[in-house]
Amino acid sequence: MLISALFTTTAVFYGLACALYLAHLTRGREGLTRATNGALGVAVALHVAYLVTDVAAGSSLVADIHRVLSLVSFAIVVAFLVTTLKRRVTVLGAFITPVTLLFFLASGLGRSVESVPPDVRSQLLPFHIAVNVLGVSAFTLAFGAAVAYVVQERLLRRKELGGVFKRLPALDVLDSLSFRASLVGFSLLTVGVVTGALWIARESVGRAVLEPAPLMGIATWWVFASILGLRVMSGWRGRRAALGTIVGFLCAVSVLAFYALRAGGMHS
Amino acid sequence: MSSDLIVVGLSHHTAPVELRERLATPDEGVPQELQALVAEAELHEALLLSTCNRVELYAHAAEPHRALERARAHFRSRAGEGVESCLYHHRGADATHHAFRVAASLDSLVVGEPQILGQVKTAFELANDAGTVGMLLGRCFTRAFAVAKRVRNETRIAEGTVSISSVAAELAEKIFGDLRGRRTLLLGAGLMGETAARSLGATGARLVVINRSREKADALAASCGGEARDYELLQSELVLADVVISSTSADRFVLTRELMREVCRARRHRPLFIIDIAVPRDVDPRVADMDNVFLYDVDDLQKVADEGLAQRRQEAEAAEAIVRAEVGDFESWRRSLALTPTIVELRSYFQQVVKEEVARTAPRLSARSDEDERALRAMSEAIVNKLLHPALTHLKASASQPEGEQLIAATRTLFRLGSGDPPSPTQGSADVVDAARASREAPTNGPLPTRKTHGV
Repeated sequence: MLISALFTTTAVFYGLACALYLAHLTRGREGLTRATNGALGVAVALHVAYLVTDVAAGSSLVADIHRVLSLVSFAIVVAFLVTTLKRRVTVLGAFITPVTLLFFLASGLGRSVESVPPDVRSQLLPFHIAVNVLGVSAFTLAFGAAVAYVVQERLLRRKELGGVFKRLPALDVLDSLSFRASLVGFSLLTVGVVTGALWIARESVGRAVLEPAPLMGIATWWVFASILGLRVMSGWRGRRAALGTIVGFLCAVSVLAFYALRAGGMHS
Repeated sequence: MSSDLIVVGLSHHTAPVELRERLATPDEGVPQELQALVAEAELHEALLLSTCNRVELYAHAAEPHRALERARAHFRSRAGEGVESCLYHHRGADATHHAFRVAASLDSLVVGEPQILGQVKTAFELANDAGTVGMLLGRCFTRAFAVAKRVRNETRIAEGTVSISSVAAELAEKIFGDLRGRRTLLLGAGLMGETAARSLGATGARLVVINRSREKADALAASCGGEARDYELLQSELVLADVVISSTSADRFVLTRELMREVCRARRHRPLFIIDIAVPRDVDPRVADMDNVFLYDVDDLQKVADEGLAQRRQEAEAAEAIVRAEVGDFESWRRSLALTPTIVELRSYFQQVVKEEVARTAPRLSARSDEDERALRAMSEAIVNKLLHPALTHLKASASQPEGEQLIAATRTLFRLGSGDPPSPTQGSADVVDAARASREAPTNGPLPTRKTHGV
């Protein structure tokens, strides 16, 4: 009862923060900043309470894909807040909080049934999940910056230099943030792919490699490897790099979606 | 209420820079100037705002009319008789309105520019340190800062730049973020190009000048603090540059699509911002389609500048509404200032009357105990409270309204409050008898002599 109340209020506050960030970007009222920060702060506090309550009830945070999704949404917000401490990119909340909200809402679609059969669990699995959770949060930051880049670049080309253009950060700032976050995400994903492969090999679940989720995981790794390679080797940047980052992020999301769908299928 | 807020001064609206300069006071001279003004114009409070666009004295004066005359005389003595026709003044709500508009940058040369608020705050601090700010000016300027903040937060008055060179610099910052160390290539020697280059140079960008005539390039580079290069190095400089400002007098494209293709290949996707200020244009418009190249011509920049101006005008209307509402609130507060002493004096007068009457009547009552006396006192206080209740409620309710000031003044006149000579209780009884007689004698459809008093 308490946990479902916490879930609902957390979702409401994530939704509120999301609406306020979008209003801040499009309407540009500075007075909204405090309300936005407040709403996100409350959402994070409620999310912590929600996670603690779940753990106190005897669950593991990585017990199933739905709990992992909740953890992903939490990691995204924390990564975003840490980034805003260093760079003036608060306005990116308009692109990042919707993703957070979606992941969090998706985490509520299923609960309590543990989708990983006990016989295939090992010490490696929580580590594999943890690095991938952090990786996805970094990719979400990269995605937010990339979407903002595409929007900002389009406004600049069309010479529509209104309020949204003025409030979004400079193209160079967005490109560099997207690059750095992709690099962090890629490093974590590399560890995630390696630990995933080791787990599959060790636990003799070889057939798992042919399932869509691990395949998309490898595709995500490949997309980010290509973008980062092109950035470093051929000086790739700007719109193409941003579009590539968006594609890479969608691949990462599809991995989670496949896991969630499979878990849903198992439940039914 | 005779004491009032006043403002007297001149600004870019009324005076040329030569006159403004004569009256301008540096920060370190402000305390002395304030002391002189307070003494000469007999001011309760004073604040001097001296910027390059305005010199204004805000003051709280016991006799506003005389204070205004003396302040004008002070300014004439400093800047000569010629300053008289440039001076303006406001008092009361108009002075508050002016202060709020100035702080909110609605009276600025470039409406919405942010510097004025800082200047007003400095003026306030200087006056505060000089000890010439009291309750009224203190409250007025604290509200003015809050109004300025509201205007900035609730309108978009500060958005939108208004000159081509500032638009160019703003756009460059929106592409590259920090412009320090970025390379700006100025191609040609047009005046607008030079202005735009200077504007970018002010942000810390490094300037390189190329012209077909090396002498002109050298001269321009020397005046802008940049470096001159030979025209033959154009392509390699285009590869190195982050921003290109082109303002040659060539009658055909200088930066052709073919040239820019090669340049872009060598740049390895680094973004390039090209500002084509030349008429006819220097840059092939198809260059705008290239990846990571952003091309703006003079019409684009002018359009952005005009939009900024139009937007500011529109937002200024919303800001004026905020200022009007805030002036109303401030005036309500100011009117309510006079209410408290009136209530205290009125209550004290009534209590005094009752006390005297009780003291006179009490000895005539026989065999009264202490309890009887307490009851008598309680009854007399209850009578005072009940008598005063409707009048005080009405006074309190109307204190923040414009007519409240008249009501308070009428109350003070009727009961001779503050004059040190309230009507004596005996005289009061006679007045009531007279009024009653007058009302009996008055025609039934005529105005009752006590009618107006009831209204009060």
